[in-house]
Amino acid sequence: MNWPDLSMGGYGFYIWGSYLFALLAIVWELVTLSYRKKAQAQEDSSPKVLRGSTHETTS
Amino acid sequence: MNLYKYASPINFYPLAGKLIPWFATPAAILFGVGLFVGFFIAPPDFQQGDAYRIMFIHVPAAWLGMFLYVLMAIYAGVGWAFNARLASMMASSISITGAMFTFLSLVTGAFWGKPTWGTWWVWDARMTSTLILLFLYIGFISLQSSIEDPRRADRAGAVLALVGVVNVPIIYFSVQWWNTLHQGATIRILAKPTIHGSMLWSMLIMLAACWLYSVAVVLIRVRCIILEREQNAARLVEATV
Repeated sequence: MNWPDLSMGGYGFYIWGSYLFALLAIVWELVTLSYRKKAQAQEDSSPKVLRGSTHETTS
Repeated sequence: MNLYKYASPINFYPLAGKLIPWFATPAAILFGVGLFVGFFIAPPDFQQGDAYRIMFIHVPAAWLGMFLYVLMAIYAGVGWAFNARLASMMASSISITGAMFTFLSLVTGAFWGKPTWGTWWVWDARMTSTLILLFLYIGFISLQSSIEDPRRADRAGAVLALVGVVNVPIIYFSVQWWNTLHQGATIRILAKPTIHGSMLWSMLIMLAACWLYSVAVVLIRVRCIILEREQNAARLVEATV
């Protein structure tokens, strides 16, 4: 097993920068999804969905 | 078991909820394993040193950006051709994750390009066609959100998605068709890979992690879309009765 040093042979900024961006992108996606779910729950907490819609696959 | 019943958004909604943990949990585990193999097992590259380790996120992001576009176009096409609501909802759900991965592939590519090519960006065939892919995703998302009627929005989006799918083979073959700074394919189906086994394994594990993550997130989002659209339908029914 190799223990990489944080400087990554001088490429640390580029490597950690790209992984930080990846982490931010994933966190952004999950946070926006969570807000969307929360907004939905606040808008209508009653199970209206099943009252008005059908089980058909097409509109 | 009648699988056809899951083509109905209402029946698919609880199934998607049950499936999410089965994709999200392995995704989290595989992210950890892939990064461990990539940073602790895989040796430095003889030419690029440690800079190549960006590959473990860049390549899966780029592959998923392309693959999710094709999947989105198929769902959009099926939704349009067969008037299948769930397929159109899936296309909408995939578009945001696909755009995120395409954006990520461009950003990580820039981070890799600077130390290896000496520049963050060049208007080279691979990078330009990937940027066009991002614009196609953004166009699809914008078009869908700008049309109020979901069915009309689905049809308009399907046209754009199906026309834009021609860009995917252009991205893939751009390194063969044109002289580009971007390196050619390292992994081919019929040929032996040209990278060390641990590098290959790390990349494949990260690809699997990104794929499982995508499925989980798409399922979460499609549940939101089902609720939003079906609630609107419910209100319309209530208003007209």
